[in-house]
Amino acid sequence: MDLKYHEMKLWFFLGISGIMLIYGCKNSSDDKLPYLGHKTMVDGQPVYHKIRPYRYLNQDSIWISDDTLKNYVYVADFFFTSCPSICPKVMKEMTRIYEAFKDEPRVKLLSFTIDPVRDNVPRLKLYADNLGINHDKWYFLTGEKEFTFELANDFFVVALEDPEAPGGFDHSGKIILVDREGHVRSFSEGTDASQTPRLIEDIKKLLRESFAND
Amino acid sequence: MTKKIFFAIILSALLYYSCENTPYVQGQFLYENKCANCHQSNGEGLGNLVPSLRSDKPADISSWVCIITGGKKDTIASDNSFLVREMPAFKNLSPTELANIINYVNHSFRPEFKETTIKEIQTYVAECVNNQ
Repeated sequence: MDLKYHEMKLWFFLGISGIMLIYGCKNSSDDKLPYLGHKTMVDGQPVYHKIRPYRYLNQDSIWISDDTLKNYVYVADFFFTSCPSICPKVMKEMTRIYEAFKDEPRVKLLSFTIDPVRDNVPRLKLYADNLGINHDKWYFLTGEKEFTFELANDFFVVALEDPEAPGGFDHSGKIILVDREGHVRSFSEGTDASQTPRLIEDIKKLLRESFAND
Repeated sequence: MTKKIFFAIILSALLYYSCENTPYVQGQFLYENKCANCHQSNGEGLGNLVPSLRSDKPADISSWVCIITGGKKDTIASDNSFLVREMPAFKNLSPTELANIINYVNHSFRPEFKETTIKEIQTYVAECVNNQ
């Protein structure tokens, strides 16, 4: 009798914790993506880390700026066309994201070159053509080098010139997700293919959040 | 008792190896470390920028050996620009390692797989022009 009572108690608690677990997990997946980076308070309102304004030429010699992108969510990476190290791997993950959102007009992809001396507009066009992508969806951007290194910091990407590194530049292979207001909301390591499906889910989540009122 | 343990070890070792997808474990390791960065883990390459290794046709092993050990460089050009596609040379691979990589790639990415022997590889290495 006593044993049965204990057994029932055990099952009761197991049941409760099971429900709580499911409920807790469900709630967190419905949550908004976090705002990444340093947060400050201004007049009692949180001000989140934001990418600085920028303006770059794309592979078709069209100016692309933060203003151009205000109606889109986008993912960005930093690369250079003659990169012998991690770039092909990160590019592959970018193409996976591209394929996943090929028919979703509210998503764009940006690849900033950190080697603008060699990667001018014609070369970026050739690169994009040989990657076989839609030029209106995926922008390959070239601009001033020092500014790009600083801009990379805003994306939490390390990019710098280093004669010792393969190809002359050192950079991290992060793929960064940015919302319509220029806040960083998620990222993946582009060198780790297993993280891409999670980032794709985060993009869907951000789309639901960003266009909820449209 | 020791006999039982011995058989258990043998059995689990067999089970472990039968679960591996490839019989070319060293080849897979070398491929992941030296080739997959550009050719990708599934051999697909990257558009027209990095050639795919997947194909229905049997591979030309002798030219593969020369390309792996000697590297390859070509350019894609348009009217007003060019891109250099360059594969580095892997000079220090032994014939055994070459055979394992090539067999791994063929076994994984090409249905027309036929195993290449180390002896064949040695012949191809000797025949390569770009190694001389």
